[in-house]
Amino acid sequence: MERNEITNVTSSRLSSVLTDIHFWVPVAVLLAGLLLLKFIR
Amino acid sequence: MASVEMPRGSLPVQNTSRAKKLQYLGILSGFTAGAWLGAAEAPTKLVTIGIPPMVISLIMVIGVFLARWSLPALILGTSSVRADVRRAPHLIIWAVLAGCLWAVANTLTIFAIRDIGLSIAFPLWNSNSLLGIFWGFFFFNELRQAGWRRWTGVLGGALVMCAGATLLAIASSTQAPAGHSLRGVWAALGAGILWGTMYIPYRKAYLTGMNPLSFITFFTFGELGMMSALAVSYTGLSPLWQELTSARSVIFWLMLGGFIWVIGDLFQQYAAKYVGISRGIPLSNSNQLWGLLWGIFVFGELHGRSSSTYLQVIGGSLLMMLGAGAIAFSSAAADEQARWKEAAQREVRRYGVEADYVEARMNGRQAADELVKPSRSAWDWLLVAGASGIFVLFAAIARVPQMSLHWGPVALLIAALLLLLLICGLALWRTTRFN
Repeated sequence: MERNEITNVTSSRLSSVLTDIHFWVPVAVLLAGLLLLKFIR
Repeated sequence: MASVEMPRGSLPVQNTSRAKKLQYLGILSGFTAGAWLGAAEAPTKLVTIGIPPMVISLIMVIGVFLARWSLPALILGTSSVRADVRRAPHLIIWAVLAGCLWAVANTLTIFAIRDIGLSIAFPLWNSNSLLGIFWGFFFFNELRQAGWRRWTGVLGGALVMCAGATLLAIASSTQAPAGHSLRGVWAALGAGILWGTMYIPYRKAYLTGMNPLSFITFFTFGELGMMSALAVSYTGLSPLWQELTSARSVIFWLMLGGFIWVIGDLFQQYAAKYVGISRGIPLSNSNQLWGLLWGIFVFGELHGRSSSTYLQVIGGSLLMMLGAGAIAFSSAAADEQARWKEAAQREVRRYGVEADYVEARMNGRQAADELVKPSRSAWDWLLVAGASGIFVLFAAIARVPQMSLHWGPVALLIAALLLLLLICGLALWRTTRFN
């Protein structure tokens, strides 16, 4: 029972992260930075 | 800490005075950050042998990693870090993400300096503060209802600082661009965008109430992980190891640079926490001014240069001071701070963080159900001793570089650094107990 609650909280937190624009903007910029680094190397 | 009973009318007055105190604290932290971040360049200038820039960065980041774990253990204890993470575990993702952004940006600056020279590259990546202002406004309600005077102070101050930084970079530049100019411009702009965006995780963590000391301990995993991955992919594991072993006599100086950088960055984090990224970041960008002071007075870098160079230095320094002053006098008023709280409420609702904790931490206090006094365990002392031991080990095999240094300015600058550390550290301790 308690384990189920912990799993629910974790998955809801994860879905909060994955639907947060504050997460995706830095991720997009990081990926673009890595691509740029590959391009200019 | 539980709130103290007091007459109803005195609460708003006390809150306003507390908010003002925290604003001053943030501004002081920003200036202290600039001084320490600028001083971090000094030990790296002692390294004159031909070590690849990627290896220099990696060694500095190893020093940073050691400092980022040992300093929080020494100041508050890792129990405080664990308690913070239990309250808002989702922030670990943002801390690691910010560390990765830092490492990629730092690597891009190496290419930018190589391709277009410091004088063009620096102003381009220094634009990160303008992007920080934009993200602060767009995502975290900074400068909302701030009025045109504060807008002019912050945005105008940041622009004036950029102009000053450009003059200083032109004056201190010694190398000519080596070609591939477009590539270098892209690299410098990319670094600015990555660093500017790195402040999104910073602000998010501090609006949620995380302690800067907790944030940096996880930030450094992203930093070291990404930097190691980049160094291995660029040089290969075996050549990288060879470079590291052949550089062992200078590793201490580079790690010391990383250690000093961490102290500066810690104050930068407190500035971001108490005055936001739109004001905290431009203030800590005054590090260029301090870096130049070290370069000119300690290493005699501009010795024998033309009078126009000295004019550029004086003009650039005055502009940077003017810009920093304009930002320092544009602290957030009550209306704007109410908007910051709205942004914090978003985090409370979205991630289920306790509202009391967020409110208390925004005011630089412990929440009612937190331990009154964080304690250090044997593990903390072991961490501090381990990190210190590694520094001592590399100091023992370090070669003292054959350079002519001006010891008078060294003593003066170190005294200024220690004075700022003492004043700002004491102010943080008295006002917030580092919360």
